[in-house]
Amino acid sequence: MAFKEEMLCSKTHEYVVKDGNKYVIGLTDYAVEQLGDIVFLELPEIDSEFGKGETFANIESVKAASEIYMPIGGKVVEVNEALVEAPETLNEDCYENGWLIKIESDSADADMEDLLSYTDYKEELE
Amino acid sequence: MVKQTCLHDKHVELGAKMVDFAGWHMPVQYSSIIEEHKTVREAVGLFDVSHMGEVFVSGKDATEFLNKIVPQSIDKLEYEKAVYCQLPNKNGGLIDDLIIYKLGIEQYLIICNASRVDEDINWISINKGDMDVTIDNQSHNYSLLAIQGPKAIDVVKKMGYNISDQKSFTIKPATIEGLKLLVSRTGYTGEDGFELMVENKDAGYLWDKILEKGQEFGIKPIGLGARDTLRLEAALHLYGNDLDETTTPIEAGLTWSVPKDKVADYNGKDIIMGQIANGVNKKLVGFRMLGKNIARHEYEVYYNGEKVGHVTSGGVSPTTGTNIGLAYVKNIPEICTDTIIQVMIREKLYDAQIVKRPFIEKRNKV
Repeated sequence: MAFKEEMLCSKTHEYVVKDGNKYVIGLTDYAVEQLGDIVFLELPEIDSEFGKGETFANIESVKAASEIYMPIGGKVVEVNEALVEAPETLNEDCYENGWLIKIESDSADADMEDLLSYTDYKEELE
Repeated sequence: MVKQTCLHDKHVELGAKMVDFAGWHMPVQYSSIIEEHKTVREAVGLFDVSHMGEVFVSGKDATEFLNKIVPQSIDKLEYEKAVYCQLPNKNGGLIDDLIIYKLGIEQYLIICNASRVDEDINWISINKGDMDVTIDNQSHNYSLLAIQGPKAIDVVKKMGYNISDQKSFTIKPATIEGLKLLVSRTGYTGEDGFELMVENKDAGYLWDKILEKGQEFGIKPIGLGARDTLRLEAALHLYGNDLDETTTPIEAGLTWSVPKDKVADYNGKDIIMGQIANGVNKKLVGFRMLGKNIARHEYEVYYNGEKVGHVTSGGVSPTTGTNIGLAYVKNIPEICTDTIIQVMIREKLYDAQIVKRPFIEKRNKV
């Protein structure tokens, strides 16, 4: 999947990308770079539901603990269990193998209105 | 305004991630905290610790004066030796922790925490009274570079330093790479190592030379992130986390550093001696998390469903592959080595076990 071309990013550094009838959610490379060595990841249970902006996961680097927010609302249908077992691999790849959860969403279109393309997101950071 | 050390531009050039720490713009990491940590445990690392305070104390009454402001016996400190000290207030609470070096007859150097220099100078001055003592804060004129790790000795030797018999916790004036400096065999990593105190104008040259001469031993620059994980594994206290004005040396588990036979009076002596004789209400313990969760500063600690204290320092231990921490807990006999306690993390309780400190075997025997 061409993540960087298709994904939309939140100002809190999560991305969302459509994959069939699901949405894949993860952390941007900028976020991962800022966090540094990632050592802990806690993902939600399947079937749990979250609104846009709600905390759905917790991540910890050597330095600090952070929360991860939903870029769009929806119901969790898949979680990346392999990543929970080896959170340090997120430092190498936060896209193809480093996605966090997949969700189904009824509110995606409206929720995505304030999200940015990767290019615009990178520009905002500068 | 945030201050910069003389090596600031070097850190930026090396690609360091910079953060504000104790009023200074400092490198938190250059590559990865875990890699940097391992570099120091397995080879050697170079730290810029120029943010720390350097205060010279001299004058006819210098020994008597220092003896009056710290629990340690400064009158017994020998020439060119160093001692780890605390600076208690009248209640035995700690204004700072320090290392005092004896440089000559009635001549001493105090190395103190960056965040506490002003408070220390203020407190020391209050205590001076009419004693014949000069307190000379030279923090702004000196840089401090720490070379730490099992190969630190190879690096200083390579730089032409005749280490001869310089033991741990000693300081010597030396000329290295043509620069006049003070070399102490001290550090904050649990490893053998050296701290080089040099005039600001020479800091950049010295930094480059250490990296150049240390290259064959695998030297790398190390940021404050790894400095914290290294000191935590060695169970070395961090002022502001594990020590503050409400904790005494006895509560902090520093009884080993407080002489019982010291005759001279010092601030907080009655309380500190009273605690040695009668015990304390809270005590500092080391713990290891039993699962994957990470304890952090200020998380609550529970025992048998009751809140008994809080975490002061917590994080990952790259050397052991576990998550560790220090906590103040209620001083009851049930809470001791091997006891299972719980740490509250994101509103859930997770098991941890109290373990002996340090968390790694003592390595810096010299």
